[in-house]
Amino acid sequence: MSPAPLAVTVIPNFGRGSECVRDNHTFCWGWFTDHWGDTFRPALTQHVVLTLIAVGVGTAIAMACALFAYRQRWFEGPFVVFSGFLYTIPSLALFQLLVPITGLTTTTAEIALVSYTLLILFRNILTGLREVPEEAREAARGMGLTPRQSLLRVELPLALPAIIAGLRVATVTVISLATVAAFVIDKGLGAPIFAALQTSFKTEFIAAGGLAVALALTADALLVAVQRLLTPWARIRVT
Amino acid sequence: MRRTAAVLAAAGVLSVGVAACGGGKSKSTAGKPGAGKPAVTLGAKNFPEEFILGQLYTQALRAKGYKVTLKNNIGTSEITYKALTSGKIDAYPEYTGEIISTLFGKNNRPSTAEQAYAQAKQLVGTQGLALTQKTPFFDRDVLAVLTSYAQKNGLKQTGDLKKLGAKVTYGAPPESRTRYQGLIGLRQAYGLTKMKFKPLAIGLQYQALDAGQIQTGDVFTTDGQLAGGKYVQLADPKNIFGFQNVAMIVNKKVLAREGADFATTVDAVSAKLTNDAVQKMNAAVVIDKNSPADVAKKFLQANGLI
Repeated sequence: MSPAPLAVTVIPNFGRGSECVRDNHTFCWGWFTDHWGDTFRPALTQHVVLTLIAVGVGTAIAMACALFAYRQRWFEGPFVVFSGFLYTIPSLALFQLLVPITGLTTTTAEIALVSYTLLILFRNILTGLREVPEEAREAARGMGLTPRQSLLRVELPLALPAIIAGLRVATVTVISLATVAAFVIDKGLGAPIFAALQTSFKTEFIAAGGLAVALALTADALLVAVQRLLTPWARIRVT
Repeated sequence: MRRTAAVLAAAGVLSVGVAACGGGKSKSTAGKPGAGKPAVTLGAKNFPEEFILGQLYTQALRAKGYKVTLKNNIGTSEITYKALTSGKIDAYPEYTGEIISTLFGKNNRPSTAEQAYAQAKQLVGTQGLALTQKTPFFDRDVLAVLTSYAQKNGLKQTGDLKKLGAKVTYGAPPESRTRYQGLIGLRQAYGLTKMKFKPLAIGLQYQALDAGQIQTGDVFTTDGQLAGGKYVQLADPKNIFGFQNVAMIVNKKVLAREGADFATTVDAVSAKLTNDAVQKMNAAVVIDKNSPADVAKKFLQANGLI
């Protein structure tokens, strides 16, 4: 390890951007395709992972709490107040408040994202369960199903449309909010958006924003497809 | 009743899982056994010059076999410094004047870059932090106006804005509102008490100037945009923006743990960072839209640092 020589600094040629890029035109395809591999594809993948974890963990927690509240009515009020409180905290503030506790980590982002799914999912799951017709429940009992069997085979399947409606809203919300998560973790589609904020580079904004919108639409369409697959009786009733 | 208990247990397991996950990850910067030198987490603040600096130091250290994680685009000086003092990061490049004025709230104005560096080093030293050698380049905040506006109103230096009173809106990052190197200093040192303030994200100043939404904007002297002649910088004879050479603030414990080569590697990079070099790298990122990682790599290669 030799000490830094005091020779003159060499400034290499960093490469000139295209006219489109230098003049900040609306959208530079060439730049986008050049940076698909090093910027946008990894950002999109990270965004999908962030969303899947948040919705997955959120669903698990909301499902557990909703099932509890379904049996123990008193639990509903406090949980709605709690999750509603989380839901109303401005996302930037929540991300920042968590940094001293969980650091500049994916965990920080996920805790915030999960907390935004709880209210929507809890309400939808609980409403779905409560709207199961009393006759269906009685029929289940009459057939000799235990309460657990009734829940798993009759009540939850009948609540599925409401649950998936909640999942759709929660997923789209998380996809949108996860762009703000780049405020703490420099991951996901928010990272190029935050970087573009510094340079006002339109191509980067449009590319990252467009990918987020496309991702939200795709996720929503997938969930609709899942619902159709899981509730074949609904289609029969419609036709 | 049994079902209730099961549900509660499930919820409990979940929350424990989440908590365990949080505890594990935030400590991941600790040394990994058998990996040679312990891992280090570097940070970078929230503007392109810092993105480039972060890449320069990270790549140079990695080339020397250090395990380095880079947390890019953390936030303002205040936020990034908090990340450092709370152990979320081990080091980050900071500007000497920012250390004195923004991080430690000192309003004295050192008269040379060396004095500023010495004071900054002494201040961070009181917090268990070390400061590597400073760079030859300095990047100061400066007020910029459109050249046409400066000609129309005869503006040469910052104090000239006073005669325009409330007709001037000053666009700067939100944190400037409470900084001496910002609105406070402009009011106290130049008497610009009537000037309006518009908080803007870093980088939007030029657009806002173009659109006439602000009349003067807080910009950096090394900005690539200043090269074209479209904007002029207003002189700062009272020196409120201080001296702004860059040095890496490093946790002293981390520095000791990493051995002497760590600081030597960082200093070797810093020694190459002249005004011209940094301005060209900024332009390569901001104007030509090359990625900070590529620009840093080319620079380090050309200077034999990797």
